Amino acid sequence: MALINIATHEIHCKIVYYGIGYCGKTTNLQYVFRSINPNVRGEMLSIATETERTLFFDFLPLDLGSVHGFRTRFHLYTVPGQILYERTRLAVLNGADGIVFVVDSQSEKFEENIQSITELELNLHRIGKDLANFPLVMQWNKRDMPSALPVHVLERYLNRRRVPSFEAVASSGKGVFATLRAISKCVMAQL
Amino acid sequence: MEQLTNLIISDRELAIIMTALNKLMHDTSATSVMLIDKSGQVIATQGSGARRNVTSLGALLAGAFSSSRHIAELLGEKDFRTIFQQGVNENIYTTLVEEQWLLVIVFDKLTHIGLVKILSKKSSDELGRILERVRADTTRRKSSVLNVEFRSSVEDTIDLLFRD
Repeated sequence: MALINIATHEIHCKIVYYGIGYCGKTTNLQYVFRSINPNVRGEMLSIATETERTLFFDFLPLDLGSVHGFRTRFHLYTVPGQILYERTRLAVLNGADGIVFVVDSQSEKFEENIQSITELELNLHRIGKDLANFPLVMQWNKRDMPSALPVHVLERYLNRRRVPSFEAVASSGKGVFATLRAISKCVMAQL
Repeated sequence: MEQLTNLIISDRELAIIMTALNKLMHDTSATSVMLIDKSGQVIATQGSGARRNVTSLGALLAGAFSSSRHIAELLGEKDFRTIFQQGVNENIYTTLVEEQWLLVIVFDKLTHIGLVKILSKKSSDELGRILERVRADTTRRKSSVLNVEFRSSVEDTIDLLFRD
């Protein structure tokens, strides 16, 4: 739920990166944090386990500065990917304005990706939203892996709604900003 | 309940919110008082204590609150509507306002938790009434803020800033 504060001339939007464990959600945020103009970003918060798996969420605030007199901010979150943290994913989804669904393109992860997007649909339904008309962008990550499935296969089974999709190798930054630009514009268009 | 697409807060409503927060802060001698949306976005703050890292605080407090509600579910409780976090010097009391906002009071050991509970309940009721008004007005005022020029400029800014 975007917050538009007319009194302080601020707009805040929440974008959530969703997907299975080790698909590269945190890597996306880390790349944005490292590469974006330092004046645009705030501090990145990570609530992780000792082995650096996301336990609760990662959080990165981005500030676009003043646009037509309104200070516009995007707050990026990731959910924990591990299956047992479903409740936490639901908690982080609360109030989201847009979702980036990060897919691990490797063939051995195919089924897990399918389960994750089904769970996302269910979780959105639980908070009264319908994935069919919710700002959503797909990211086909890990395109550099030898067992990466062809994009047309991923499109066919994971992107039935034909939302914008981007090939990525988040560890090297490929596709990270293209994905972020697309979801940010989708979110603004929906406001 | 379906979540709103957006929530628009006007000058007048923000002024009432700030007055309510300021009164609560003084009556409880709190170091700071914040109103945050349950999605983690900060709506208003009063006092010096929360100024540092206010954005991160909003995200973390909303996360902790949301997490505690799921704990309630697992225990078969209807929900937990408040959280009390106790430190050596500073304490935080968080309470839900009408299923949408969180009222957060940061106070030190000189303030008794009982006083915070009673006075925050009163403020929470008042803020709940403001929230009702905000909800009712949101669709009506949207078009005046998010006009074509704004949308076009924001797209250009996204292209300019979100790149390698």
